[in-house]
Amino acid sequence: MAFEPQENDIAIIGVAQTAAHARFDGPEVVMIMDCVNTLLGDAGIERPDVGFTIAGSCDYLSGMPFAFVSNVDGMGAWPPVYESHVEMDGAWALFEAWLRLQMGDIDVAMVVGSGKSSPCNAREVFHLQADPYVVAPLGLDPDALAGIQARALIDAGKASEADIAGVVARSRAAAASNPNAQVSGSVSVDSLLAEPYDMAPLRAHDVSPKADGAAAILIARRDRALELSDNPVWITGLDHRIESHHAGLRDLTDSVSTRLAAAGAGVADGPVDVAELHITHAHEEIILRDALGLDDSTAVNPSGGPLCGDPVMATGLTRIIEVARRIQSGEASRGVGHAASGAALQQNLVVVLEEGGA
Amino acid sequence: MATQLPDIDFTLEYPYTRTTGPIMGPFLTGLRDGRILGSRVGDRVLCPPVEYDPSDGSTVGPENLVEVGPGGTVEGWTWVAEPTSKHPFDRPFAFAQIRLDGADTTMLHAVDAGSIDAMSTGMRVVVRFNDERLGSVTDVHFVPGDEAPEPPTVDADAEPVGIMEHVIGVRIREPLQPHRKRFLEGLLQKKIIGQRSPADGKVHVPSRGYDAINRVAMSAEDDVEVEGKGTVTSFTEITPIQYHGQTETEPYIRCSLLLDGADTTIGGVDIRHIPIEDFKVGMRLEIVWRDTISFDDEDNRGYGLNEGVYERWERTGEPDVDPELVKEHNF
Repeated sequence: MAFEPQENDIAIIGVAQTAAHARFDGPEVVMIMDCVNTLLGDAGIERPDVGFTIAGSCDYLSGMPFAFVSNVDGMGAWPPVYESHVEMDGAWALFEAWLRLQMGDIDVAMVVGSGKSSPCNAREVFHLQADPYVVAPLGLDPDALAGIQARALIDAGKASEADIAGVVARSRAAAASNPNAQVSGSVSVDSLLAEPYDMAPLRAHDVSPKADGAAAILIARRDRALELSDNPVWITGLDHRIESHHAGLRDLTDSVSTRLAAAGAGVADGPVDVAELHITHAHEEIILRDALGLDDSTAVNPSGGPLCGDPVMATGLTRIIEVARRIQSGEASRGVGHAASGAALQQNLVVVLEEGGA
Repeated sequence: MATQLPDIDFTLEYPYTRTTGPIMGPFLTGLRDGRILGSRVGDRVLCPPVEYDPSDGSTVGPENLVEVGPGGTVEGWTWVAEPTSKHPFDRPFAFAQIRLDGADTTMLHAVDAGSIDAMSTGMRVVVRFNDERLGSVTDVHFVPGDEAPEPPTVDADAEPVGIMEHVIGVRIREPLQPHRKRFLEGLLQKKIIGQRSPADGKVHVPSRGYDAINRVAMSAEDDVEVEGKGTVTSFTEITPIQYHGQTETEPYIRCSLLLDGADTTIGGVDIRHIPIEDFKVGMRLEIVWRDTISFDDEDNRGYGLNEGVYERWERTGEPDVDPELVKEHNF
């Protein structure tokens, strides 16, 4: 039975994204501007019609303190915006915007995720998310903890190196139809397994290629959504959970926070036609499929996913966009978007998207 | 005159000093002085130690600290084939989850094993105390085997570790963005290049590569040259505060200038040769270029005119402009 939206329900009415650029020559603002202009143009509204704007980004990536302030230029400097910011992937900005619209006093919000990671080595930034006393001084970065997590999965008999390579092969094949992907194409598991280790048992291709990029979403409360869009995509569940920052207190072979967020968002309340998962290391797909309860009836990362292009800080929001696009086009009726933050899937956000009833 | 401007390459650093508190203080003091501490929580010992019981958040005090190690078992690991600049070793090594003897949870740390072939899940490792120990988790590392460490030389009079220092930093390397490159190349030729917005015709100097009012990107086709001459739209007198690294001692002026032909001001223009009592909004100024122009701090962000390009700004001798005419440009 198709979802019947109520007055306080909120829908995605527009999506936009740039390609995942290995390096974008111009300012980050220009990538944001491209997305904002696409959203407003498609919806046929002006920026003052947007009641709330929020962005997710990370100043460390481009080495510019307060880069997030100049990023507001991308939304248009005049008239002033009512805006907020999270030092998180844009998916968490969507969470705040979704809450904000539920207050009922405004009806349209714009969400942006953006990043230029090409100026830095992201591994030398994101170890700072770890415990500042006992982990960060070691420089123990997310790729290193991912290597430990992948080995834990293999040691527990939950996956093999070939299974992990299989995720990469399937992702790259799927990305062949994604014009925004950085890498794509046919590659065999055997040839992947012949590559040298990077963070053993992971190999370089098991780690997402960092990119410069931006993504944006326009959301609206029910009545306005139905005015502005012929095919709004309804957000029927949204939840995010976090686990301990001490890896030693976690079972790295499971994602408890994803299980909780999936239950909170109602993933199991209906069939899941499509799921886009924020995996920055190939083995994470195996953990997340299990935690989300997905079986072979769900198309997982049909865009190729982040392993084929990782515009850091926009990657999670892009997962939600990829699901929304497929529901907008009628290719799917119900799907799950997932975003992760922190090392080894420490934080997980799950959103359920559905088409509306006639 | 083709001049090659180098890519941007700088390291942004912040020195963090953190108070250590009732648990991390003794833990880091222990590493400095040759022992590893965990927290007894119920019937388990957690290492690294904690200030709270992870199951219910209740306080776990320093009276629960117990010594663990120095040996332990590897429960998980990865081999770092190419260390980053932040890692404790500049040669390949392992990061491992180590369950120290007497502990029930694992601690993440580095194992200097020489080769991936020396690593396996379940292997025994043992701590080594580095010669230089500052009260940080990096005071120690681990090696394969069971050979107990030499007891480190301890300064019996040293204070407990109350502060942990951690310099964080990121190296940024990127090409100049196209609009910045053209602007800076212009300055090297004593030209000031702005961009005219294709949306409303207003000229932005220096340009950010886009028009934020009309949300349009600008390209080389939008470049225009403006005069090295303009009108003061606002100013402030800066009295140098004597902070660490301050080199200024005497008051000086910073002003905003609306260059002839531009619709945006350049900010932070340095004025040293005009007395503050004579300086005012509306005054007409002209650039005096340096004989040789060079700069080593080019970036993708600049909102002003690079100080390395001008000797000073001089009064043109023209009558002042009515301040009312520039009040929309005062910043």
